[in-house]
Amino acid sequence: MADEIEIETAPHRAAGAIATHRRLPYRWQLWLLLLPYLAGLSMLVVIPALVGLPLAFTDFNALQSPAFTGLDNLAEMSGDSIFWKSVFNSGVYIALAVPLRLLGALAMALLLLRAMRGIGAFRGAVYLPTVVPDVAWALLWLWLLNPAFGPVNQLLGMLGIPGPAWMVEEWGARYAVVLMMLWQIGEGFVVCLAGLGDIPREVLEQSASDGANRWQTFRGVVLPLLAPILLILLFRDTIYSLQANFVPALILGNGGGPNYATTFMPMYIFTSAFEYLRFGYAAAMTWAMYALTALVLVAQYGVARRWRLGFRDAE
Amino acid sequence: MPNRPGRHLRWPRDGGRVLVACAAAALFLAPIAFMLMTSLRQIGVPLSRQLELFPQSSSWGNYPAAFDLAGMGQSALNSAFVVVLAVPLTIVVASLAGFAMSQLPQRARLALTFISFAVLMTPVTAVWLPRFVLFKEVGLLDSRLALVAPALGGTSPFFVLLFLWTFLRVPSDVYESARLDGAGALRVWAGIAMPLARPTSVAVGMLAFVAYWGNFIDPLLYLRSREKMTLPYALQVLFQLEATNWPLLMAGAVLITVPVLLVFVVAQRSFLQRFREQGWLGR
Repeated sequence: MADEIEIETAPHRAAGAIATHRRLPYRWQLWLLLLPYLAGLSMLVVIPALVGLPLAFTDFNALQSPAFTGLDNLAEMSGDSIFWKSVFNSGVYIALAVPLRLLGALAMALLLLRAMRGIGAFRGAVYLPTVVPDVAWALLWLWLLNPAFGPVNQLLGMLGIPGPAWMVEEWGARYAVVLMMLWQIGEGFVVCLAGLGDIPREVLEQSASDGANRWQTFRGVVLPLLAPILLILLFRDTIYSLQANFVPALILGNGGGPNYATTFMPMYIFTSAFEYLRFGYAAAMTWAMYALTALVLVAQYGVARRWRLGFRDAE
Repeated sequence: MPNRPGRHLRWPRDGGRVLVACAAAALFLAPIAFMLMTSLRQIGVPLSRQLELFPQSSSWGNYPAAFDLAGMGQSALNSAFVVVLAVPLTIVVASLAGFAMSQLPQRARLALTFISFAVLMTPVTAVWLPRFVLFKEVGLLDSRLALVAPALGGTSPFFVLLFLWTFLRVPSDVYESARLDGAGALRVWAGIAMPLARPTSVAVGMLAFVAYWGNFIDPLLYLRSREKMTLPYALQVLFQLEATNWPLLMAGAVLITVPVLLVFVVAQRSFLQRFREQGWLGR
């Protein structure tokens, strides 16, 4: 047997050696395959993100070259009430939408993890709103939340609850944007499904045979094992939130209204840059958005650690 | 005695769960159902003050009206142009990168995974302005190719990671015989790795399709000419023209949503039904 294998492979090995002799070593070839990805990332994300930030110290309208103005943009920002309102709006949105979206995704994954007839259709139904194009989704909700003719208030009316005027009131508008985003949780849903599916059966059986009930098993075994995934989802959704409500603000809030209640930070950055051509000021606000994001992420991590949901406990 | 995960319903124990699952599905589908129902209302019939699940007098008339008014013919061609270029390019770039990462030594792989996560965490808002300047410099401003550009980097590091995780599950000796035959990395990727990763390719293709088809911000930022705009922009034009004609707007919304739904229905099997169901949750 051994001889046969020797005879079989030896010529191939030789041929291979000759063939590879004339070309790059395999590992270098792998780096070549990586090249488009790395080049694309650098050109489109890494370098732009780094180049964009120094613009914060300039006056730049994208037509003439940037003029250095020091901390002028920062000073203006600190006295700009619309800017502070946009910080507040984004903060409210993160505080409400991110936890609710995560809970919704986890709940749906728990509900639809186990096989049953037609499970694919159920999962598909939960994912479906996520694939609807942003503009169509925003227009749809503008209609659903129409105070007089919209189905949501008509439904509330049938239950005897007077529906709010939604996009006319400041808080109604903020809640409306949070509400419409609660349907588009497909990504978190699928990630939770994958995470739950990877939990080894034996671990759970051990817990059950120790006399733990379902809630105790969930809190004591499932949640810690899922914690790293939930933490990544939490971070990702927080960052995503800062961009995801741009289209709703544009369509539902008709450009950030009423009274700037849906002027989230990306909206104000967009308006400053592309409507008033104040790229320097917009870059300064982008810094502020980074800072807010970092602050929220650190706070979230702190809370997660305190609840023993951090990475370390999951090991 | 561990139960096998059930393929079939066991009444009445599963009854409650099925009811909850049905309620959840109905809740998630309700907005889309209202979109469809409203779009079928006959032109000129006033809106109802009562909740109406199906319009009294229905017609398809809003569809051609929305299509013509928003100039969706040209926009659909533009959207198709973007998707046809960007989706295959995304699959190729992302799978090449994911494959290479899965074959590299552990240290390089971890470093690249970390970089991918870091980029994933960068808000797109941060690159709006510099990309605008970059596209202006290289002459991509007001060009449809500006909408395809992100595909050059695999669109999202998330797609690369999906391919990486797929390829890591392939035992390394699968590639071994091909390499002994003197195949280079590119041939191993094309001949052995990619056929094994078909479900991942389908899933990434679907996600990329959704992203490019629905992209509203990029055309808004980088395009100027009306005739180059994609479908989401056409829908916004319709909104500006007929801001309170809800049946017409919903017809427009359905029109741009249907292609995504079709792609989703075809592709969803490959990424929604692969999860093993087991353990605590499988009992």
